[in-house]
Order: sequence, then structure tokens, then C-alpha cells
Amino acid sequence: MGRRRRRQPDPADAARALPEAIAALSRTLPAAPSPEIFRRAKFDRPEAAPALWRLLFHVLSPLSADSASVSFTLVDGPPELASPIAEAQVRWVKSVLHSQGYPRLALVQLQDDGSQGGRELLLALAWLLARGPLPERLLTQSHVRLGDEMPVCECEALASPGPPAPRVEAEGSVDIRHLQWLMGKLQLRWRNLMAGQQEQCALLGKIHSYTRGCHSDRSLGHLSVTETELLRDPEGGRQLLQRLETENARLEAALEWRHRELVFWRWMDTVLDTCPLEASPPTFLPRIPEPGAGAAGLPVRELQALQEELQALQEELRKAVEARRAAWQAAVGGHGPEWRAARRALQVAVAQDLAALQWAWEQGKGQARPHGPRRLVRTEARVPGRLGLWATEATEALRAREACLEAMLHQLQGQCRQELARLVGVRPGLIWVPPPAR
Amino acid sequence: MLPAECSRRLVAELRDALDSCAELQRQLEQSLRVSRRLLRAWEPAETPAPEPTPGPEINEEAPSSACPPSPQDLKELELLTQALEKAVRVRKGLSKAGEGVKAHSLKSGSTSPATRASAPPSTSHCAGSCAPGTKPPRGIRHPWVPAKDLPGRRLLLVGDGAHMGKGAGANKPEAGLRDQQIIPQAAPPVPEAFTLKDKGALLRLPEAFRKAASRNARLWAQLSSMQTGDSVDAAAATAKTQFLQKMQTAAGQPGSRLSSAEVGRLQKACSLLRLRMREELTADPKDWTQEYRSLLTLEGLQALVGQCLHRLQELRSVVEQPQGPWPEGPPRAASPCGGGADPMWSPQLLLYSSTEELQTLAALRLRVAMLDQQVHLEKVLPDSGAWVTVCSGGVGHGEDSRLSLLVQPPRSTREGVDEGTCECAGALGGGGGTGAWCLDSCPRLGPLKCTRPP
Repeated sequence: MGRRRRRQPDPADAARALPEAIAALSRTLPAAPSPEIFRRAKFDRPEAAPALWRLLFHVLSPLSADSASVSFTLVDGPPELASPIAEAQVRWVKSVLHSQGYPRLALVQLQDDGSQGGRELLLALAWLLARGPLPERLLTQSHVRLGDEMPVCECEALASPGPPAPRVEAEGSVDIRHLQWLMGKLQLRWRNLMAGQQEQCALLGKIHSYTRGCHSDRSLGHLSVTETELLRDPEGGRQLLQRLETENARLEAALEWRHRELVFWRWMDTVLDTCPLEASPPTFLPRIPEPGAGAAGLPVRELQALQEELQALQEELRKAVEARRAAWQAAVGGHGPEWRAARRALQVAVAQDLAALQWAWEQGKGQARPHGPRRLVRTEARVPGRLGLWATEATEALRAREACLEAMLHQLQGQCRQELARLVGVRPGLIWVPPPAR
Repeated sequence: MLPAECSRRLVAELRDALDSCAELQRQLEQSLRVSRRLLRAWEPAETPAPEPTPGPEINEEAPSSACPPSPQDLKELELLTQALEKAVRVRKGLSKAGEGVKAHSLKSGSTSPATRASAPPSTSHCAGSCAPGTKPPRGIRHPWVPAKDLPGRRLLLVGDGAHMGKGAGANKPEAGLRDQQIIPQAAPPVPEAFTLKDKGALLRLPEAFRKAASRNARLWAQLSSMQTGDSVDAAAATAKTQFLQKMQTAAGQPGSRLSSAEVGRLQKACSLLRLRMREELTADPKDWTQEYRSLLTLEGLQALVGQCLHRLQELRSVVEQPQGPWPEGPPRAASPCGGGADPMWSPQLLLYSSTEELQTLAALRLRVAMLDQQVHLEKVLPDSGAWVTVCSGGVGHGEDSRLSLLVQPPRSTREGVDEGTCECAGALGGGGGTGAWCLDSCPRLGPLKCTRPP
């Protein structure tokens, strides 16, 4: 959609540009209020606050891993008229914004009943929008998947269960047999998962081959389960179509927003100007740092895990290098001048190699393949020109990861055993039955 | 008995692991249900959307209704018959034209959505062989129909497209809906069960759906291409950066320049380095140049890991500060895909050529997830103070899998003289051990072998 350039900007156009931009934003975000609410928020009108709290909640929850712990009901009808937002949700929004690094303290000072702070919330929304492609992320999250999807990136295949509900643990000690039982149960569950997964793959294979040639998109060739299901069940098909069309409307609004957003940012500058400057950092009692969030929104736990991984890596490398260096020193005999030249060449080559490796993560876009689940397509083997990831390649990558994890597991188990052996050696009279050798 | 505090953590972690598995199982079972149902014979479609006007009870199972048709029914039947006749005429014309046109094209020329809605239902009830002139069509409540009368055996699929159009709410669509109940009375139903295996190749997706899907793909492509800069984009990007800076300075707090992107980079670095290390360690050097090269690479990797660690320490020293009046935040789980998730969806395919390939891949995925979980559990255990070694609890190793537990209570109780709570030690012949005992839960290995350390 191009804009015609005029010699004289038409004032009427300019006046319309902002509401239209906000309207586009409102159409693409979930549960967004009308442009009028945005305007009122600038002047901190009370009616704007609840609607914006709700919007922030709906914007943050799909992208947050722990949204399951905060129950909320979907808003039906115009957001302004929906039920008032709950205190728990207000606090949740505050904490998520903080964990992402929101700089302004005025937000946390707003009352938890959600009745005030329209302008501050508007600033928070703009802050989220400025930091990244928020509408696109939300749309990707809620994208209607038409194919049979399988994620193959190196990410966790298990959904994190979220913060565990506060469980009433049994008082007193835990029976070792209970632990045994839990572990056995876990094993059994994995076994069932494996079997079920194999069956599902067999069924998918059948469905894909039976519907070969049916798809209008030649690059896909056959129908997916979702598509076949919509043929079997027209009612479900209706709903799917509706969801698709809703998404299309939101996508169009997102495109429009991208074209128009400049005027929104200029307006946000004025909104920020109407805010009183925050005073010097208010005195607060230093609290014990929570395990959850750091000042810049970097979860301490994540950093700790990363540090441990890097340290483990360092240790493994150190051992390998020591061993090989020693072997090398022993082996290298008298090498002539040609050896020095060759060595120099090797050093340069390795340095280049490693620089390329470093570049891969520094660049930020080092991923050869994008992430996310992929649509399964059954096709003749090795037809040239097919764009996509081959299952065989993905399997290779996974095998590497499997080997890596197995090594890590053995190392950890070895550490345990070593420590145990040491302790057993110290305590006389201890019975220790070593596990059967693998 | 294990001391409470340390084993509680372990139990909690195990329960988390069980919950994750249960969630996966739930999703898997749902998919299985759907797939199995698709591969069985398809039953006639469900009751359509409820009609806005009250009418006789909709009962598609009974071929004829018990009550005599009311005047309203007769009138609607009249309208319906007209619509059907028109549809048949159009179809005749189409078959003469000799091209396989999708049923919705029958509406070509008609502008009202009403006609569009009514025309397909009439064809949607021709099952099996349905010659152009046949009327009334058979009352098969199938969601689709192959119209074999078209030359070239190009097959149509209506897919109940009528209902997928925007609800017109006019008379005709209702008549079309009613059609599906009234028509069965008119013809002897000869339902032929549809199975995917036999007739799957005949299916076609409905027009409205295809349009929406292709529009969807187009819009996503447009949105993706917008990310690459153009002049509008650059101005907006500048405005955004300036706004963020202003927000930061207006806050009056020392801004931290650190972003989670930095952490994401380090995570990626870690996995790339590890992968590279694995490659080097598993490679088999054939001559001294390769050996030397391998050595240099490993040393280089070591240096890089050191750099990453250093950077991480720097990050941590800045990050871990006392928080303010902010409310307690829920612990944020690691973002999926290591924080590098693509913000934009794009169509990506995973191509496979045989069921075995797919099964291998899926099994491997699950195995990697399971190993991940095991590694996590293994890391957690020492923290909890109770040492539990789970040896070779691997799934997928057939009957070999065994679970051995060797439990060491934490230091606080190790100095204790006589716990008196060690049941298993008792079972092992009254060993004097106060803390360590072992359970071998693998039935195949027979009786336990006890050895005392020298």
C-alpha cells in the first residue's frame, strides 16, 4: 500500500493519520480498546485504565511461559465493557513488565485495583511495541496451523509444567519406596509415550499417502490431518475457517500498522512529555534478591544454568586438551622447517574456522534454519528442488544432540558414583551394592 | 526413610517431570483419536447449524418425518425445488463445457450470496453416480461428493462450502439447510461408507477455505518482507529507539544496557561450542596434520569458552542487585528455542519419504527430551543433599532398562551413629550401615549381591 506524496500535506489527512494508525493497532492486537480510549489515556482519564490493563494482560500472557498460573477469562464483546481486571492480574502484569526491564517506577506505584494510570499504561504498551515486533510475535503465537506440525529444533520437547501449584507435601520423611515408585512411573510414562508416538506416525503416514494429489498447493501434495478433518466434519471446518479469517483480518491490520506507525511514535513523544519527570530514585528498602528476576529481566536461574553448562564444557575441554597436548609433545619428534610452515598454515586455518564459529553466534542470525514446528510433507525421496528440511537431516542433528546428552548424563552419574565411593570408603560398615555394569 | 527436606525437592522435581509427560501424553492421545477416526469409515455429517426460524424437528437419521409437511414447509420445498432445478441446469451446462470446475463456481454469474449458498447443497447430496439429469438427488448426508459425471473424471468437492460462506441469513440459505433434511425423504438413501483408503484421493478442499488459506500465506509473506528495511521502516525504527531512550532517561533510574539478547547469544555460543567439541572429539585423526589441527581447535574452543564465561560473570555481577518495590515475580521459565525464536511465522516444511523415517525421527525426538529430563534430574539431586544415582533408566533399550537406586542421606545425618530407620539395611542382613543402602529393582538380575568395601 503506497502513499501518494503530496506537495502540501493535507491537514485533514494528518488529523486522520493518528486515529487510523491507532485503529490499525487496535485491530491487530488481541482485546484492544478503541482509539478513543487511547486518546483518553494520554490525559490520564480514569476510564482508560481498566481497558489498558486488560490489553496489557492479553498482550503479555501468550508470550509468557507462566501464564497458565494466572487464570483469566477471555473477554467477549467490547473490552471497555468487560468485567474489571482482577488484582492478581494487575500484579502479574507489573511483575512481568519488571522482569522484562521496564524502567519506570510509576507503573509499580499504581494501585492494584486497576482503576488508575491510563497514561502510564499507554507508555508501557508503547515501550513493549518499541522493543520488538510485538504484533507479529502475537500473531505467530496464535497462528492457525493447517498442517501436521513437528518441531525439530534443538529446543525442549517437553512443555514446562509452569510453576507447580503449592502442593501439600507429606509431613515428615519420604519413603524411599515412594521415590522408587515415582521413578518407575516416570519410566512407564515414557514408554507409553514412545509407543503412542510410533502409532501416530504410522497413522499420519497412511493419511498422507491416501490423500496424495488432493491438495491445491502442489508443493504440499497431500492433505494434513487438520484439512482432512475439516472435510469430515463441516462444523469443525466452519470454525477453522472463521479462525483463519480472523487471523487474516489481524494480519491486514498489522500490515497497515507497519505503514502508519510513524505518526504514533511522534504522538507518544508528546505523551511522554506530559508526564512529570520521575523524582530521583525513591528510597526503598533493599529486598533480598528473588531467585526469579534480575534487574535487567535476566532470570538468575537461567544465568546460573548457563554458567554451569559453560563450566562443564570448559572442564571437558581442559581434560581433552591436556591429554592431547601431552600426546602430541611426546609424539612430535624432529620435524624440519617444512613442519614449521605447515604448522603456521594450520594455525591460520583453525583461527579462521573458529572466527566463523564465533560469528555464527555474534551475528544473532546465525541459525541456518529457522525455529519452530514444521509442517510434515510426505514426498518421494530426494526429489530435487524441494524446499524444506529432510527428515534424515533432522535425524542426524538429533543424534548428535543425543550423544551429547548421553555423555553429559554419564559424566554426572560418574560424579555421583565417585562421591559415593569416597564416602563409602570413609564409613566402615557401610553396605554398598554397586549397580550392575552396563 | 529419607530426611524430609532434601527428598522433598526430589519428589517435587519428579512430579514436575511426570506432569510434563502427562501433558505430552494428553496431546498425543488427542491426535491419535482424531487420526484413528479419520482412517475409519466416515459417518454422515453432524447436524448443521441451527436454523434461525423454528421448524419441524431436524432429524437426518429418519428418512421421513412423521408429521405432515406444514404450509411453510411446502412453500420452502417449492423454493428449494426451484433452486435445485436451477442448479441441475447449471451443472448440465458445466458438464457440457467439459471442465472440472469447483462447485462454487456454479454460482458464477449470480451475485447474491444466497444463490451461492443454495446451489452447492443440492449437489452435496449426490453420492456415488449422479447423472446430471437426476433429480431429486440422493439424500446422502455426506460432506462431499465426487461428481463423476464430469468428463475427464475431474472430481469436485463441495465440502459443505455453503455453510462456509458468510451466513447470508436470507431465505435461500435456510432453504438450502432445510434441503438437507427434506431431501432425504424424496429419494431412497443408499449410503456408501466413505473410507480414506479407498476414496481419499477424491477429496478436494472447499473453495472458501482455499482462498482463506492462500490469502493467509500471502499476508504472512508480505509481513515478513516488511521486516527488511525500507525508508518507512527506517524512520519508524529511529523513532522507536529515541522513544526508548527517552523512557529510560525519564525514569531516573540507572538503565541497564543488558538485554536478554546477550544471554541468548551466550546460550547459542554454548551450544555451538559444545557441538563443535563433540565433532572434534569423535573425529578420528588420520595423520599428524589432522591431529595437530584437532588439538589447535580444541585449544581455541577452550579459549572461546573462557571468554564466554568471563562475559557471563560480568553480566551476573551487574544483574544481581537488590530489587525494589516491584511485586514478586513468578519464576520465568526459559523461553522456548533459547530466546532466539523467530518472531515471524514462515512456512517451513519437514519432508519425509517413508513412515519409518518419520518414526525414527519422532522416537529420537522423544529420546532427546527424555535424556534432557534425566540430565536435569541428575543435576538437581546433588543439590537436594540426598544422593541418588539413577543408573541406566533408559527407555528404548528394550528389556535392558533397569532402575537402581543407591541412596546416600545428607551429611547432617551421616555422622549419626544409629539411625534405626534403615529398613533395607535390615533386609540385607543387618548391616551396620547407618545411611547407605541399595535397592536393585531389576527382577531379571535375580538376588542381590552384597559386597562389603575393603
